[in-house]
Amino acid sequence: MIAVIRSELLKIRTTAVPWVLAGIAVLINGLLILVIYLSQNYGGPGDDVPHTTQQLRNLLGSGFQGYLLALILGVLLITIEFRHKTVTTSFLVTPRRPAFVAGKLITAAILGALLGVLMLIVALVGGGLTLTARGGSFTGLVHQIPAVAPGFILVFALFSILGVGIGSILTNQVAAIMVSLGWFIILEAILVGLVHGAFKWVPTGAADAASNLTRNGGNGIHLTLFSWWQGGLLMLVYGLVFAGIGSILLTSRDIT
Amino acid sequence: MTSAIEVRDLSKQFRSVRAVDHLTFEVAEGRVTGFLGPNGSGKTTTLRMLLGLVSITSGGATFGGRRYLDLDHPIHHVGAALEATSFHPSRRAEDHLKTVALASGIPLTRVAETLDLVGLTDVARRRVGKFSLGMRQRLQLATAVLGDPEILILDEPANGLDPQGIQWLRTFIRHQASLGHAVLVSSHLLSEMEETVDDVVIISQGKLVLQTTLADMAAQAGTGTGLRIRTPEINRLAEVLNAVPVGWRQTAPDTLVIDGATPEWFGPFAAHHRIVLYELINERGSLEDVFLRLTHGFDTAHPPDHSGGQSAPFRMPEASA
Repeated sequence: MIAVIRSELLKIRTTAVPWVLAGIAVLINGLLILVIYLSQNYGGPGDDVPHTTQQLRNLLGSGFQGYLLALILGVLLITIEFRHKTVTTSFLVTPRRPAFVAGKLITAAILGALLGVLMLIVALVGGGLTLTARGGSFTGLVHQIPAVAPGFILVFALFSILGVGIGSILTNQVAAIMVSLGWFIILEAILVGLVHGAFKWVPTGAADAASNLTRNGGNGIHLTLFSWWQGGLLMLVYGLVFAGIGSILLTSRDIT
Repeated sequence: MTSAIEVRDLSKQFRSVRAVDHLTFEVAEGRVTGFLGPNGSGKTTTLRMLLGLVSITSGGATFGGRRYLDLDHPIHHVGAALEATSFHPSRRAEDHLKTVALASGIPLTRVAETLDLVGLTDVARRRVGKFSLGMRQRLQLATAVLGDPEILILDEPANGLDPQGIQWLRTFIRHQASLGHAVLVSSHLLSEMEETVDDVVIISQGKLVLQTTLADMAAQAGTGTGLRIRTPEINRLAEVLNAVPVGWRQTAPDTLVIDGATPEWFGPFAAHHRIVLYELINERGSLEDVFLRLTHGFDTAHPPDHSGGQSAPFRMPEASA
């Protein structure tokens, strides 16, 4: 399996996908930090420097919504093979299709985690500059790394796994991305609005729990969530169930 | 002679279309087997079933007794270059081969070796999106031989190659056979393959028409001899020919073919009747003629299949090529 993962990492590295997504991630998180920097009124009246534990954690985790990029990364990791018909060669090399999907899942987890690390670095550097410019404490930000980073990185890895799961079912690249984003941007919000208590069960709610980030109500809305490990496990179950369905569908699929 | 590939009673049903129909044949070690049939006859589907890419409706296909799916690191045993396989356009040729090598535990030194073998060393660092069809075919072949397999399956490898490329391909295939490898190579043109193959498997509409050696087929072709005559006096020639017990048919306004006739017989015959000749050609039936006769004959022998199969919308596996 290590051989397959090395191959998968080389495959994706030799396309534009990871570089473009990393670029977008840096850009988005950079812009978010800039907005924070420019805001004269951070966290409350007369409070123009993030200094409470929660404010510093929110600053460090400002790129959290970038998990959608991790999701797209996972989707692309598998659908790109169908788009360019390289899947024929992949299936000749790894004829057992569940093994092929498993290789993608592990690769996605690694790459998703790396994307999370990248966003944390951007937040750390950008946030550090902001704090220094405002006379805040950079070390205060650094001290929040152990509290923020593990959950943050875990959620990115889990979203990439979920992306592979979705892509293994919907191998058409455009359809898979539309459905993924459609769910996370529109459908999930509708579902949560309609069904009381649904939030902790949907992937976003599970991710929020797993990240341990928005737990104490960044914007004052208090939502009931699972514990971090329950949320992580739920995310993983979503990803693996989809990947399992995808593997079964792929096994009976003719590659013509 | 040991069989490298055994196909037993293999069938494939695509919804309402029977693409491959109870096909049985064998491919011997150390020999090149031409897998021939018209476009849409089920060649690509058969090859893809062998390789586990297309599911088998019934029957089986094995390599030394094992299914492709059951082989450990299959590309060490069976190398395949298939049509309509593609490469990621922004990936470099070398990187493409590295991804395959890494996944199968093939040493990366093989990458440069195979690029050299197919003559792509100079473009190793070029992105495959900039490759011509011929270069892609070569890269496919490089991918196929990367694991140094003892069995090669090549689907229409001559497509997109220029005449020098085809000559190179023949040498490449013969070389593989000389190493003791079994090569199964498909083509819709026998003429493309007749200098390369030892054995032929001919299919039409998913059914086996003939499995034999090329030598045997050539002997069959020899029986189709005739004498082609071009003359300004075709009507008079027809008249005198009708008086003798030979079969003949007119093929053009000034040309006719006499079955089984020899120049030694016809020369004096024409002189005796004082008939002017423009052309006198001793025709041997070509392998291509036999091939066409066999595949066509098979179609017309099964009229319901012919109308249902040949003109049906099903063209998928090969028309896409």
